[in-house]
Amino acid sequence: MAEANGKRFHTRHLIFLLMAIAVVLPLIFKPGLPLRVTKEVQDIYDYIEGLPEESVVIISFDHEASSLPEMVPMAEALLRHCFRKNLKVCGMALLAEGTSVGDANLRRIGAEYNKEYGEDYIFWGFRPQHEVAILALGEDITREFKTDYTGRPISGFPIMQGLRNYQNVAAVISVGDGDIPIYWVNYAQARYGVNIIPAITAVMATTMYPFLQSEQIVGLAAGLKGAAEYEKLLNRTGLATRGMDAQSTAHVLIIVLIAIGNIIMFRQRGGKRS
Amino acid sequence: MTDKVLYIHKPFLILLILTLIPFSAQAAIDTYDTPNDGGNSITVTWGGEVIAQSRDKFTSLDIQRQKVAESAGWETAAVLPVTDSVFVDDSVKDNIPYKYRIVFSAPEGEALIFESEPVKSSPQFFNTKRLNVLIGVIICCVILFYYIYESRKGKKFYLRPIGGLQAIDDAVGRATEMGKPILYSAGRGKMQRVATIASMNVLSSVATKTAEYNTPLIFPNSEPVVAAVAQEVVYEAYLKAGHPDRYNPDDVFYLTDSQFGYAAAVDGIMVRRKPATNLFIGTFEAESLILAETGNSIGAIQIAGTDSTIQLAFFIVACDYFLIGEEYFAASGYLSKDPMVLGSLKGQDWLKIIVGGAIILGAVLETAGIGFFSKLFGIG
Amino acid sequence: MYRRIPLIVCFIFGAFMLIQFFVPHRVSTEFYEMTLEWAQIIYAFALLVGALMLMKHHAVNATRKSSDDRPFSIIVIAGIATMCIAGLIWGHGEGTVFNWFFQNVQAPMQSTMFSLLAFFVASAAFRGFRARNTQAIFLLIAATIVMLGRVPIGELISPVIPQVADWILNVPSMAARRGIYIGIALGSIATSLRVILGIERTYLGGS
Repeated sequence: MAEANGKRFHTRHLIFLLMAIAVVLPLIFKPGLPLRVTKEVQDIYDYIEGLPEESVVIISFDHEASSLPEMVPMAEALLRHCFRKNLKVCGMALLAEGTSVGDANLRRIGAEYNKEYGEDYIFWGFRPQHEVAILALGEDITREFKTDYTGRPISGFPIMQGLRNYQNVAAVISVGDGDIPIYWVNYAQARYGVNIIPAITAVMATTMYPFLQSEQIVGLAAGLKGAAEYEKLLNRTGLATRGMDAQSTAHVLIIVLIAIGNIIMFRQRGGKRS
Repeated sequence: MTDKVLYIHKPFLILLILTLIPFSAQAAIDTYDTPNDGGNSITVTWGGEVIAQSRDKFTSLDIQRQKVAESAGWETAAVLPVTDSVFVDDSVKDNIPYKYRIVFSAPEGEALIFESEPVKSSPQFFNTKRLNVLIGVIICCVILFYYIYESRKGKKFYLRPIGGLQAIDDAVGRATEMGKPILYSAGRGKMQRVATIASMNVLSSVATKTAEYNTPLIFPNSEPVVAAVAQEVVYEAYLKAGHPDRYNPDDVFYLTDSQFGYAAAVDGIMVRRKPATNLFIGTFEAESLILAETGNSIGAIQIAGTDSTIQLAFFIVACDYFLIGEEYFAASGYLSKDPMVLGSLKGQDWLKIIVGGAIILGAVLETAGIGFFSKLFGIG
Repeated sequence: MYRRIPLIVCFIFGAFMLIQFFVPHRVSTEFYEMTLEWAQIIYAFALLVGALMLMKHHAVNATRKSSDDRPFSIIVIAGIATMCIAGLIWGHGEGTVFNWFFQNVQAPMQSTMFSLLAFFVASAAFRGFRARNTQAIFLLIAATIVMLGRVPIGELISPVIPQVADWILNVPSMAARRGIYIGIALGSIATSLRVILGIERTYLGGS
């Protein structure tokens, strides 16, 4: 426990300043470090690439406004791939703040590929109580979402013909900043066997590794790095690729700080002994 | 399972019948009630040598069905790629006999038809694919009930000291000495989450102590239901301690369910009210380090317990004491000393031994190339 | 009676949800779907309770002149009022006032809070990551490799670093995490059973 003291400028403030510099400088100078595509991201790409045209994919925007810088590049890359492959995309949100962001993203990327709302993609809207909503979709989608985000009955849209529950869905992409992707695995995958593609923040990445090894998820796109790798696979430089240099320098700074912290500790120990 | 060539309604009729009759015994169409479902479903499968050999000749495959009783005409149930060999018809009615036929056809008019025997759909009362789960549930229940029963009979069980829980007393005492409040957070878990229920158990124990010492207990919530339950839990604890007058309902309140909105608000409360002790007991996500670091910066004693494994790493760095894994779920028994809860903890230990044994056995068998054991754990 | 009715309801629904998992019959799934709908309806009312609780708490603070939290409570009430009025009058779609506030006020503020993680990780690592003993040294080495291996600069230093980082995450780290997961899962099962059977009842407000 660190005792608070009355000093105006603490060591921690210096660390904060250094971190800010370490993040900002690479964003200005753009060194463009090379990026390796990991197997987890490649697996997602290959899975989507291998789906027959017109397969249905659900994309759930399970994030809040706080993680937009990390989530939006990820969602954009995955949506571009889905639309490029002519898949049918059904959008939804299990967190209220993901709703308007998800709707806007779907419409924007859909327009890029000249996709028709209701025919090639749809946005069902938001449902609270995520575990309940996930389970309910496994039984009957039209019972859970009677209308789309704009209030029109979803059963009237061509995209919904023959789409009853997870049995008719090729994969669920959960773009999430918390533990909702885990709920998708625990309830939708374990109970209904649907394929789950988690696209999550870097801070939550290691929670998904056990599911990766037990093959309960198709792959894993984690953080800005996952999005940057996906952008590389799509041959498209986006927001994520530009952010990777900043992430590199931030990691190096943390390693340097740990080293300095240890040097200080050893010097203090040496001083005490002498 | 029966199969037969019925008729060809296109040219080359006689020729085709003559061609197919010798092979019909080797072709197969099988229809059956889809197992382990809620009814309204029949599965049709087909295969065999004739189909395999003739697939290349045909370009379309129709699945047709007919209600036997009505002797109505055939209706198309699905049009599939010729390479398919299974079709699940989810649009039938239960307890009505249906006949199916598969029709391979070519653009030149050539066709190959197989017809099935009548079949009925019906709902099932037990999903046999989940038999392994049922056995697992029964094993868990039997072991837990046994130890709860033993405990009720008066058998004493040893519970090892848990540092994080032992520290709660000292932390409450420290806050009292300093004349500062205690801040309790159950994180962002919903009420139905087991971790949140476990957190309420710890809260009850903490509230009893704060009531005795007359130390303010601040509990900002990120869930309205948790807030309502927490108000009740804290009030009951104060009542039990004999000091209902010391309970301030304004100290247990709902903030927001926005993750970082909650983190910002709790940080603000910490900075303004400077609690002597922070207890982070519940489900936490990325906000864990933001809360714990702010608590650290104000010099508070911090105790954390969570079921979110990844957040443990952050709590370990920034907190003084922490509860790892099932220590957190043991807190209820540890603090209340309820014999029935203690009995279930003993049962948990035995379950862990069984799971550990199964993991070791599975690893050994898989390494030896024997896969049957791990397949027993698949869920349908 | 005050305690018994919730306990009976808890037992009936807990036991039903457990049995339902094994019964695919239509009656079972219909009832299950209905229960899921009830849960969502109850949650909607809980949100209302939350909103009232929030307003009450901040209204009390805002009217108390001596309260340190007074300015913050006034801001909360003003914020809620603004968003409600904007949403009710102009709707919540793209190009609306509500959406403008969301994109330009709420999102940047929340992102700022999230970004604090980078700063706090740095300060916590500097303060807490010390090679005090052999285990801590191993932990330090592993952390350094993983941190380098997860960003492009690690690949630039040596292509082996990302591979070792992947191994650390997939083997030792995973083994430890699985152990904790199993413990948590068993703890959850035992706690759930205690709740269903009414042994654990603190969440009802007392024992």
